Amino acid sequence: MYRETGLTNSSPASSQDDATLLTLVERGDEPAMAALFDRYSKVVYSVALRVLRDPAAAEDVLQEVFMQIWRKPDSFVATRGSLGGWLAVVSRNRSIDTLRRKRPMEQVDDMALASNYNLADEAERNSMMEKARGVIRLLPMEQRKTLEMAFFDGLTHSEIAEMTGDPLGTVKTRIRSALGSLRKAFTA
Amino acid sequence: MSEPRQITSEDLALFAMQLLSKGEMDEVATHVAQSEEARRELAEIQGDLAIYAHTADMHSPPALARERLLKQVAREKKAIPIDRPAVVETRAPEPAGRTDSVAAEGVRGGGQRSTLGLGSDESPVEEMPKQSVVVKLFPWAGWAVAAGLAMGAGNLYYQRGALRGAVVAQASRIDHLTTDAAVARQVMETMTDSSAMRVTLVTKGQPAPLPTGRATYVASKGSLIFLASNLEPLQPAKTYELWLIPAAAGVNPIPAGTFRPDERGNASVILPTLPKGVEAKAFGVTVEDEGGSTTPTQPIILVGE
Repeated sequence: MYRETGLTNSSPASSQDDATLLTLVERGDEPAMAALFDRYSKVVYSVALRVLRDPAAAEDVLQEVFMQIWRKPDSFVATRGSLGGWLAVVSRNRSIDTLRRKRPMEQVDDMALASNYNLADEAERNSMMEKARGVIRLLPMEQRKTLEMAFFDGLTHSEIAEMTGDPLGTVKTRIRSALGSLRKAFTA
Repeated sequence: MSEPRQITSEDLALFAMQLLSKGEMDEVATHVAQSEEARRELAEIQGDLAIYAHTADMHSPPALARERLLKQVAREKKAIPIDRPAVVETRAPEPAGRTDSVAAEGVRGGGQRSTLGLGSDESPVEEMPKQSVVVKLFPWAGWAVAAGLAMGAGNLYYQRGALRGAVVAQASRIDHLTTDAAVARQVMETMTDSSAMRVTLVTKGQPAPLPTGRATYVASKGSLIFLASNLEPLQPAKTYELWLIPAAAGVNPIPAGTFRPDERGNASVILPTLPKGVEAKAFGVTVEDEGGSTTPTQPIILVGE
């Protein structure tokens, strides 16, 4: 299922941490922008591709997300702890938004993201990835499928309930339980 | 009145994934804004989702995606702030307990959006700094100037062509007029040259010709040319005077110029000042005192109708 590790994006020249690169980007440093792209483009693109299942649309999301960094890098430094985690979630949200353009839906308020991981570090990112995949593999099938439908397919709990025939409460509980298992594994 | 429903961690998870209806989203946002614990839990869930996002199959983006991004980045070059310190604001990864401040920054009072959040409703164009708009427009200014110059150059080229055509036409007209003027001058000089040889041809064996005058007149233009030959010499202080006798009844003869014949009896009057449009009944020549007269003096030496 998981064919690649996502480690091949890092450039040897981009040894600086995310905050330094973001500061350089804020000053208009294009090589710093290229370094961030090399570091995180695979994750951003892969998440978008998983949601959209369309390489061209996923590439559009990729461009949109990184251009957002180029245009406004300072806000992230002030409020986020993990650029890699933030980018992954933003990619998912942008992709869901792309899907919803076919069925307009209300917009949402923004949220902060708390993270224990510095995903700029290749080894740490790889470790986190493999560990997360392992945790997900061990989840009960219902939980794993429900979380996947909610997060990657953008289906609402009502839609999931309708598709699976499960009660709404059960769907919500499965989603929350799956995320709880993930968190427990990473805080243990 | 119904009691507000309790917001659970399940609701927060759906809220974080933007899977609730608008009413539910507003309800949860309000709750999160009022609850520090809810904000903390929401930040935790976002962290969980970030980890989960990394479980997707990894695929490298198309090779041209990087080039495309960097081209776009180059197009939106930034105005570099020179008064900002180059201090890098670093933030260590949050400890496992994850602080309230992180969560508090995420959901601001009343559900306000952060400048760069996780939501999907932000417009990149609206987010651009003011100077970035200027920088974004600056490259187009060059194209606009180039387009203006091109239009101006095209207009000048067109005007240059039109002027060149007009100059050529005028030059051609001048050439024609110059040629005509030269011919006319030559005609005039030939007719008025005192040294010119004037011969009246008659049948061979006939007696010497009598004094003769020939008038050519164009009434509409007031143009008159008179040539005379075989005229008798005049006494000093006397002159010949040419008269135009109008066709209209009751109109006095109009003096058409004075002249004296040369030693061979030849004389001419070329284009005297005459009113235009006067139809002529006849022309006559009289002898007048030097300086001419306003009325003809008898006898009329020459007459022609």
